Order: sequence, then structure tokens, then C-alpha cells
Amino acid sequence: MSDLLLDVIEVGKTFARGGLLSRETVVAVNKVNFQLAAGRPEILAIIGESGSGKTTLARMILNMETPTSGRLLLDGSDLAAISDSASRLAFMHKVQPIFQNPFESFNPMKRVERYLLMTRRRFAGAAGESTAAADVDAALHKVGLSLKEVSDRYPHELSGGQLQRVAIARALLAAPKLIVADEPVSMIDASLRMSIVNLFKTLRDDLGISIIYVTHDLATAYYISDRIMIMQKGSVVESGDARTVLKAPRHPYTHQLREAVLLPEVTSAAPNITPSINGLISPGAPERTA
Amino acid sequence: MTQANAGQPHGDRESQPLLSVRDLQAYYRTSHSGVRRGIRAVDGVSFAVRRGEIYGLAGESSSGKTTLIKSIAGAIKPPLEIVGGSIEFAFLPGYGGLHRAPRAEVERIRWRHLSYIMQGSMNVLNPVRRVKSAFVDFAYPHIGGGRKQFEQQVIAHLARVRLDPSVLAAFPHELSGGMRQRAALALATICRPGFIIADEPTTALDVVVQKEVLGMIRGIQRETGSSVLFVTHDMGVHAHITDRLAIMYAGRLVEEAATAEIFRDPLHPYTKSLISSLPRIGEDAPRAGLGGAPPNLADPPSGCRFHPRCPLASEMCSQEVPVMREVAAGHRVACFAVDRDVRA
Repeated sequence: MSDLLLDVIEVGKTFARGGLLSRETVVAVNKVNFQLAAGRPEILAIIGESGSGKTTLARMILNMETPTSGRLLLDGSDLAAISDSASRLAFMHKVQPIFQNPFESFNPMKRVERYLLMTRRRFAGAAGESTAAADVDAALHKVGLSLKEVSDRYPHELSGGQLQRVAIARALLAAPKLIVADEPVSMIDASLRMSIVNLFKTLRDDLGISIIYVTHDLATAYYISDRIMIMQKGSVVESGDARTVLKAPRHPYTHQLREAVLLPEVTSAAPNITPSINGLISPGAPERTA
Repeated sequence: MTQANAGQPHGDRESQPLLSVRDLQAYYRTSHSGVRRGIRAVDGVSFAVRRGEIYGLAGESSSGKTTLIKSIAGAIKPPLEIVGGSIEFAFLPGYGGLHRAPRAEVERIRWRHLSYIMQGSMNVLNPVRRVKSAFVDFAYPHIGGGRKQFEQQVIAHLARVRLDPSVLAAFPHELSGGMRQRAALALATICRPGFIIADEPTTALDVVVQKEVLGMIRGIQRETGSSVLFVTHDMGVHAHITDRLAIMYAGRLVEEAATAEIFRDPLHPYTKSLISSLPRIGEDAPRAGLGGAPPNLADPPSGCRFHPRCPLASEMCSQEVPVMREVAAGHRVACFAVDRDVRA
């Protein structure tokens, strides 16, 4: 087998916009390259603002979007070769998603344990039906919940933090090697957010799962990730060790992002904004409509 | 600041709060086939917003902060009901809240004295009409004068938020999120209102744009001397812009102090864990989240609503409701454990 878990080679994605007469293409992702080593679990953060292409890149890794150029290799095999349900299932065994809003990832009319049991049946087959409940319970224990707590509950009866844990437990049932999490904590309340973030660390350290953490939040990225990639308008502008990149950014855009992070502390007696009213009244270059 | 308040030359009233909320209770009440249910979203909240300050309100989802600002803005529709307490604006005395004032009075003060900046400014700007029409609809009745003169005034005001006059002819969807939010800010401040309700105004923006818009809100507020009730769940934003900060948990205020003091010396166990859990770039120490989950407001815990998650909870906390008490100058906390510490 390959010694790379994931190999992203010159991957690009363009979307066409407009009608018959005025067709323009939008480059969402532009020639991105990166690798995740097999057998060395790590958390890679992909940072960017809206429109940076970070979600499109994540969707391509999840095989939900096909790249218009370049190749994605998982364990040495090309994602483009996935054509039948058997190879798709094999792919889902290795890669699992976590999405931003857990309330949207679950059907509000179904009890949450049904999802877990269905997922478990999908990956383990009907063979071990007798251990189904025990398997689901074990997965829930890995995220700090138990089957007893969630059984007979509908999604709205759980808090966002609990439901996101259930989503992670569902992903764990496939015993994946890679989890792609797109803004997994931005909908979660502050008091519950860190427990989810810490959970990702546990998944990496105890279960050996690599995580691609897509976010706009530099502070949590600094907190959990080993490596970091900064994207701007579809291109990776800076990447490297998370601590090095965020402590001493080299690219001006990274620097700009780093400067815009609002620290949760008040440094001086006055609020740390110094309004330049003069600057406001005599604008340098007023912004025009496109 | 006094210069900026020249529109309201009441020297003696200067020290009085512009908004005082007393023991406000706002419940959602439903009745289905004889079964009555109530959600006590705001349950006994008291605070005052002074003239010329940015008063922050922080709370998680389902803490009741949205219900609180709906009540203050007078946007009360069933099943939401104001069950008790009063809301008093200095410019609308005697009614005990916008929801009790006659329609003509509400029309008089809206946009002129009280305005709003919301999270999705698409909701303020009509999607099928040009931005200009919003200014004409909302601000022109209060400013009056010639239309030409009004337009000049709007253009001058747009320059304050670094927007070109061309945005007036644009439709809201033609503007970027940041430009739209700045247009909403210009709309909210053009009448130089005394009071602005800002509900998560920068939450949907990218970080770089967010910082810029916050700077503009601060700049205009300094210039006009308006009071702002600034609601967001983002503690970084609060640290950046607010003068005083109140923390809300499960429908009640748990702590209130100068923003710098809340961050430097939080006293309530909830505030403490909230602030210590925030990750910072450059700090590698592990941070623990708070255990448990926010309570269901249809069936809140007895006594202090935080007691099931509280590390300092004692017998008393599950039985009695702690009241907001001033434990240091300008620092109010609702916690029995803090009370004991202060007395000791």
C-alpha cells in the first residue's frame, strides 16, 4: 500500500456561472497540493474566509464534488475510480464527514439512535445484529455519551453540543482513517465548544484518526491543529506547522487574518478600538458597487 | 459627549439611564387542547443602559437574549408575552415599554430615537427595492427638508462608513455582506438616534471585515453619543467594543460589570468557565469546556438555573434563586458562593 493516506495533487475546481450568452468561470480551488501520511495521525486545519474555496476542497476530499483538474488519491487509489456502490462503501469506510450544523445533518422526524443503528448495519452488515446496540453504545462512549442518554430522543431534544457528538459517534461507527470536519464547532455554544474541540484531539491520539479541520477560526485552529493551510481565493497562500505559521506569519494575508482576530481580553482601560473619526469622514477610497 | 447630545439639552437628565429594564419577565405561552405550556425565556432581568455607552449582552443560544431584545424593541407577538416588569426609555417615559405605547408614539421614535442593526441586514433592506428607498422610507420622514438636501446628507453619511454614493442605486443583493452591513449601519445612524439595538451585527462577516465594521460602529457611536445595546455570543467582539458587559444564562442575568473587569476578574462560575475556555493564539495550555448542557427553559432547574453544572453548587443553590447583588463598585453577580466569599 501507499505510505500516504491522502495525496492531493494539483487539484482544482471551477464552476461555470451565468447563462447562454454571458458565461464566466469561477475558480473555486486552484491547484492545491498536500499530503497526509498514513500511520501518523494528525490534525490539519484548512483556514479561509467565505469564498476562499475551503469548503469546496473539503467536499472534493469527501468525494461529494469532482475536481475539474488534478487528482485525489486515498490510500493510493484515485477517487475518480469510485463508480459502484461497493467501492463507494469502501471509500466511506475510510473517510467520514462532520458538518457545521448538526440539526441539519439529522432528520428531525427520526430518533437519533436510528441513524446510528442504520450506519452500523451499513458498515458491519447484518451479520453481527446481536451486537448492534453494544457497538453503537461503544461508539457513543468514545464521544462521552451513552446509548441510554440518546435512545428515544429526537434531534431537537438534544443540545447542539450533544447532537454534534452523536454525529461524531456516527462517523466513528465506520472506523474511518480520516474525518473531514467542516466548521464543526461554529454552531456550538461557547461553553460546549471546547469539549468538542478536545474530543478531536482524543480521536487523533487514542483512535489514530487523522482530521481535516475546515474553519475560519484561527484560535481553535491554533489550539488543536498540528499543521495549517491558509487559503485565499482558491489558492493555498501559506502552510506549515500550526504554531510557526500563526505565531510568525509570512504571507501578508495570513498576517492580516492574524491581526483581525479579536482577543478575548481587554488590554487597556479603554476598549481596544481606537476609532479614527477623521479617517471615517474623509475616506481614502470609498467602495463602489461591483 | 455633551456636545454630541446637543439634540437633547437636558443637563439634569444626563446622569439618568437611557434605558432601564426592571424585573422583566417574558414568556412564550402556548395552550394546546387545554394543556398550557410556558417557556420562561426571560425571567426577572434588570439592568440599565447609560447615555453614551455600549452595553454588551452575552449569552449562548437559548439563553433568552433574543427574547430580551425583542421585548425591548417592542416586537412582541404571541406566543411571546410580557408577563411582568417594565421597560423604560428616557425618550418614551410613562408607558413601561414600546409594546404599551400608542402607535403614533412608536412611529415618532422609531429610527429617530431608537434604531436597529441586525445580523442579516437583508432583513432591513427590501430585496426588490434599491438601497436608496430604505433611506427615503425610514429616515426622510424624520429629517425632512428638501429631497436634494436629504440626498446630500445621506451621501455624506455614507462616506462615514466608506461607501460610495453609487450604493444608493444598487439592490441589496448587489452588495457584498460587509457593504450591506455598513449600509445598514448608515441607515441606523443617519437620524443620530439616542439608542441603537445591535443584534449580532457582525456575526455573519469575515474576520477582517468584522473588525472594520466594529471600528465604524465605535467611531459613529463616539461621534453621535448614542447608547448601544450590543448583543452577541462572541466574547472576542465584546472585549473589543463594549464598555460594560452583562452575561445571561438560561433567561437570567448572572453577572454584570465593566467589560475589562469581566475579562480580568470574572466572579460567577459560569462566566469564569466561559472566559477560561476561550482559546488564544500563542497559548498552549489545555482548555476544558463546561460539562453538561444548557437547561430546557420549558422546565428550568429550581433555584439557580446554573446549579446542575456548577462546581461550587451547594444545597441552597437548588432551592433559592440568587439575586443580582453588587459585590464591588459597578460589579453585580447573582451567586450564593460569591456572596459568601465577599462576606468572608
